[in-house]
Formats: sequence, structure tokens, C-alpha cells
Amino acid sequence: MTPGTAAGRAKRTAAGRAKRTAARGAGGAPRFRDDLLEAFSNAPGVSGGEGAVRSIVAQAVRDHVDSLEVDAMGSLVARVAPSDGAARSSRENGAASRGRRPPHVMLCAHLDEVGVMVTAIEKEGRLKFRRVGGLDPRILVSQVFRIGPRRVPGVVGTLPAHMVTHADEEKVTPFEELYLDIGAASREEASREVSIGDHGVFDTTYERWGTIRKGKAFDDRAGCAVLASLIQRRPPLPVTAVWSVQEEVGLRGATAAARRVAPDVAIVLEGTAAGEAPGATGDESAPHMGEGPAVTIQDRSLMADPGLVRTIERIAKSRRIPIQWKRPGIGGTDAGKIALSGAGVAAAVVSVPCRYIHAPAAYLDLRDAQRAVDLVWHTLEALRKEWPPR
Amino acid sequence: MLTSGDRDDRSTADWLRRITSLPGVPGHERAAAPEIARAFALFADRVTRDRVGNVYGWVDGVGAAPRPRAMLAAHMDRIGFLVKRIEPGGFLRLSEVGGFDPRTLPGREVVVHAKPPMVAIFGTKPPHLQKKGESEKAIPFDDLYVDTGRPEREVRRRVPVGTMVTLRQPPVDLLGGRLAAPGMDDRAGVVTVIRTLELLRDHRPWWDVVGVATVEEEFGSVFFGARTASERLGPSLGIAIDVSHGDMPGAREGETVPLGAGPSLCVGANIHPLVFDGLRQTARSLGVPISIEGTPMSSGTDAMDIQIAREGIPTAVLGIPCRYMHTGVEVVEPRDVDRGARLLAGYLAELPMDWSVSEVLK
Repeated sequence: MTPGTAAGRAKRTAAGRAKRTAARGAGGAPRFRDDLLEAFSNAPGVSGGEGAVRSIVAQAVRDHVDSLEVDAMGSLVARVAPSDGAARSSRENGAASRGRRPPHVMLCAHLDEVGVMVTAIEKEGRLKFRRVGGLDPRILVSQVFRIGPRRVPGVVGTLPAHMVTHADEEKVTPFEELYLDIGAASREEASREVSIGDHGVFDTTYERWGTIRKGKAFDDRAGCAVLASLIQRRPPLPVTAVWSVQEEVGLRGATAAARRVAPDVAIVLEGTAAGEAPGATGDESAPHMGEGPAVTIQDRSLMADPGLVRTIERIAKSRRIPIQWKRPGIGGTDAGKIALSGAGVAAAVVSVPCRYIHAPAAYLDLRDAQRAVDLVWHTLEALRKEWPPR
Repeated sequence: MLTSGDRDDRSTADWLRRITSLPGVPGHERAAAPEIARAFALFADRVTRDRVGNVYGWVDGVGAAPRPRAMLAAHMDRIGFLVKRIEPGGFLRLSEVGGFDPRTLPGREVVVHAKPPMVAIFGTKPPHLQKKGESEKAIPFDDLYVDTGRPEREVRRRVPVGTMVTLRQPPVDLLGGRLAAPGMDDRAGVVTVIRTLELLRDHRPWWDVVGVATVEEEFGSVFFGARTASERLGPSLGIAIDVSHGDMPGAREGETVPLGAGPSLCVGANIHPLVFDGLRQTARSLGVPISIEGTPMSSGTDAMDIQIAREGIPTAVLGIPCRYMHTGVEVVEPRDVDRGARLLAGYLAELPMDWSVSEVLK
């Protein structure tokens, strides 16, 4: 990867990009698509309202997949058969000759992002709201949201510092007291533009400098873009790609999708929290942005399949892809539910470390996103030949 | 450089979007002054700048010389930060200039005014990494930090201590024509002055009128720019234009004025009653709606230092209603700015040459 040229690359045409991608050496991993991350990050899609971002993902991947469906819950499910070459070589000298078929792999990234939902429109035109997903009330005051399908802007109002009493300075304003001001002076005026049930997302625009990308919802549009990038090339084994819904409200979309897909192996692609901050040391600060994808051993939802983790680790070593271990015991992902699906699925998680997820604007390092693509791609190649591990 | 006399049909909302977007924390007004000087130059006969950085736009009156002077003061500095220290990892610690509620800062984007400027974020800890109960405690300012996302080496090379940092928030168009942006305090006042100069150019007053974009209002207990400018000008009348707290939940009655109901006129010790009366009468005769705002002791504006300059100067304060002051989303209704300018121009245009508040009693 030559990350320094990322900004310049983005200016070139999609056609040119596709050509260069195709021109990448046979067997090489696909290129991470910065332009797709931009489109996915800028799109709204709070849990339960993923329609807009789903359409954008569907549009981006439709030419690369064999089938594309929206399931009963709203997750996007794409089937991709392996390349002819991979299928043939697998028959000739791989697992098939020993009476095995290559595993069916589910790759999953969640579409939804944390945000808010309008729950009341007050007489004076202000909007009351509740959170969707894990949002810290301390990051909302004075933020700008885009509300509903018309993307109506609203600001979270607050008393000016001049009027805050000393006693209140240390208080966190609870969600129930927060409100959105869209400029409306009455309920009638507000109701013409927004409705109860409308979702609000942070008003953040994707930006690039050096290898750093800034945007909203990198948890998990980073994973969505890694997945969309991976399937630009026919994979070495049969893959079902799932862009799941409602991860942030209890890993719900993937639970249903996994039943339908019934994979042998699952790799979940995430944007995970980097821990760096002033004063954060050792464990606390891991994983670091820019030091490679984070691989999960264990979190609150999952004991990652040890065989799969060892394969990933071995591939990282042999391909010289730097990886980090995600801090164990923190967070949970779709992998937890997929692992439990049916009679059980071998599952692992590969994450792009992002600073400031679940906040208005996050950072990631493009190099980590490309390494995640590389790591998963080469892991798929390994799985074709040697799954299940002896 | 635009020259005096050029036409400009920018709307007030356009002016607000443009002028609020200029950086310029106290002492660093150089970042805004040239653009404001260019705006003044569109309508003023002369534009000057003094040693401390105040920018003056002069509209010559039509009375016989020597003419009295009226001064319109709006401060061009806006609250912000300076880089205080660079931490291992390249994280920046800031000192604030002007009063923020630190609870409005986590997660906000800022601009670090290095060369060239860098975008950065007030860092936040995601819920996944927080200890139990952590989100119930507000984060004090000293625990906040700003992250440019860049390597420590680059940050140390490019960001000297003392570098200006400002909130980064493009103007947001709300319903009813309302506009949210950081820096309405007091760029909304600066735009009111620009609009007033525009009106006066076409409706010349007897007096000379000097619009002043002042420096360092938001810093310390002295309104430094207003003090030095009024000493320099020795005006017969001084009016400060600043933002007033707009109506919002949680504020007590009498502390705020409604948005969209016209500018406010302050009344209290800082305001000369005759100027207040004159402005109120003009508002009535022009049909400009106003609110009255009681400021018994201090108006907290440039008028505090104008009032005691030289041998004492009669003052008034015109307020532009503004919600959520000192945050990244200060909300103003452009209509109130237009009405403020109409009121000021109407009042100043009619001031007679022999106007005086002093009396000889014997």
C-alpha cells in the first residue's frame, strides 16, 4: 500500500479505479475502497432505520455478487461463488481430493450506527429524543444532528456558560432533559419537517489527510467498507456477505441472518475502539490506530474459535501483516450471535482500530483498513485448503 | 481588495455565514480583521486600523465641520483556545480564552491554526472502555484534550505552544431562517455594524459615524479594544452592539429576550437614559419591534469601557438575541440583525448637530 497517495487516488474516476483493482496481481488481495468508506460513512442508518445506507451498499456491491437480497429483518445478504480457478485448484489438489469441500464462509459487518430517535414534539417546536445504542450523554450537548429522511438540521440546546451555576457545572445533563432545536417556533412548524420516530444522526462529513480518515459511524461502516472491498474479487471459496442490521441494539440482525446463511465459518468485520489517550498506558491504550487490524480472542459476547484465530495469526505472520490483539473482555459483536447459531459456527472478529467511536467524529488509519482486507483475503485462501484444521 | 463604493447585495444571512466563519480569539484578531476591513470598505468612506488592531469604518456626516462623532462598537474576537502543552502521543492540551462550559466540548471538531491549519477532535472515551458510572461525571476542562490524528513528531514540529484553536462548525441553516454557528458572539454585532454603515451611506447623518470592530472583549475584566478605541475617537455617543441571551429552556424570566422579536435595548447603570429613550422612540416611529433587557449593574459589553473613556461618554447597548451563547451552535435570527441596523441607522441619521446630554445648570 502506498497510503500517501490515497487523497490523490480518490480524485480519479471510478472506472479507472476498477481497472487498477482488476490489474492487481492474481491472488493479491483487493484494494480497500476509500471512496466506499466515504459513501457509507456519510449515509444515515440508525439501528432500525438502515434503509438509506443499505441502498448505498447494495448499489456499491451489486456488480460483484451472484445474488443480493434483503432478508426479513432488513439485512443485506449477498452470495458470491468462488472463482473458477479457485474451485478447480481446490478440486485438483486441495481439500476436495481428500473428500472435503471448502468451508462456506459468512463475512459480516453491521450497517447500523448509534444515534437518536425523536419521541415528542413540544408545543414550542422543540424535539425530545431518546438514544439508540450506546451513546454517552456527555457528548451530545451543542452537537448538530440531521433528522429524518429530509435530513433536517437540529442543534442540542444548552444553557450558556454565563447562566450555569457553580453547583451545576459538574452535573451531566440527563437524556430526558436534552432537546433538539430545529429553529421551529411551534409544534405545527416543526411537524411539517419532522415526525415522531424520525432518527437523528451526527452531522459529520468524511475527510482525508495523510492516511487518516475522519467521519461518523466508523463503527461499523469501516467493516462495511472492508467487506465491500473484499468481494470486488471472486473469493477463493464460497462466501456469503452479510451487512447486518440492529447490531447496536443487541446483535439482532446477524442472529437471524446467521440462521439463514448457516455458514461453517464466520468472520465479523468491525470498527473497534482504539484506546489511546493522554495518560493511557499499556493495556488501557490498546489497540492503537495505525498498528494493524485488531483480532479478538474473547469479548463479552464471544470466545473466538481458537483454530480460526491461530490461522489468522499465522497468515498475519507469513504475509507480514501487523496485527494487534483486541483488549479481551470488552464489547460484543455480531460474532457472538453467529457463533451460537444452529449447531454452532467457528467465528472470529477482525477490526479496524478507530479512535472516538460512538461519538460525532472518529478517526481511522487507511493502512489498517487495507491490512484488514489483506488479512481476511489471505485467511480465506488458507481456509480453502485447510479447514477444518487437523 | 474591494474599494469603497462597490455595491454588494449579499443578504444578512450570507454576511453572518461569512463573518462568523473567520477565526480570531482575543489577541489573534488578525485572522479576522482584513476580511472585516474589506466589508467595512464596501460602505464606509475610509477604513483604518489602529495599533492594537481595532478596525474603523468611517461614514462622513453632512453637517458643518466640526461634526460630533458617534461610535458603534462590536467586538470581532470570539472565544476559543490556545495550545498549552503537547502530550506524549501528540495529544494537545489547551487553555481557554473566554468562558466555555466544558460540557459542550467532548466530541467537537476544532481547527488548530497551524500552517496550514489542521482539523482535530476533542477526544472522547467510548462507552465500551468506560468504567461503571463514568458517564455520570462531567469532564472538567483540564481533563479534555484535542487529537489531530497525526504522529507526535509532526505535531511537535508544526504546532508551537500558543497556537490558536477554534471550534469547527459550519453554519447550520435552521427553520424560520435561523442560523446556528460558533462566533455569533459577536460577529452578529459586526454584521449589524456593516449593515448600519450600508444604510447610512445612502441616508447620510449630520454626524460622523464610526463603526469599530474591537479587539479583546472576551478576555479579562477590561474591554481592551473598546477602551482604546473610545480614547482614540473621543465620541459624543457610543453604542455597543453585542449578543443578548435568547429565550431557551432553563433560563429564568428576565434573563433572556425572544428570538425573532427584534433587537433588545439594555437599560441600567451602563446606559445613558437619554440615548435609551431616543432609540426607543426611533424604534416606535420606524415600526421596529424591540425587547427591553434589564442590566442593572453591568451590561457585560464594550459599553462598560466606552462609558468611562475620556471625560465620560453617553452609551447604549443594542442586543442581538442569541441562543446557546458560547457554544458551537450560537443561534441567531438574521431578521433581528436587519432590524437592529435599521434602528441604529434611523436613530443616528436624525441626531441633530446640537445634541448633548450635558447640562449647564447655572
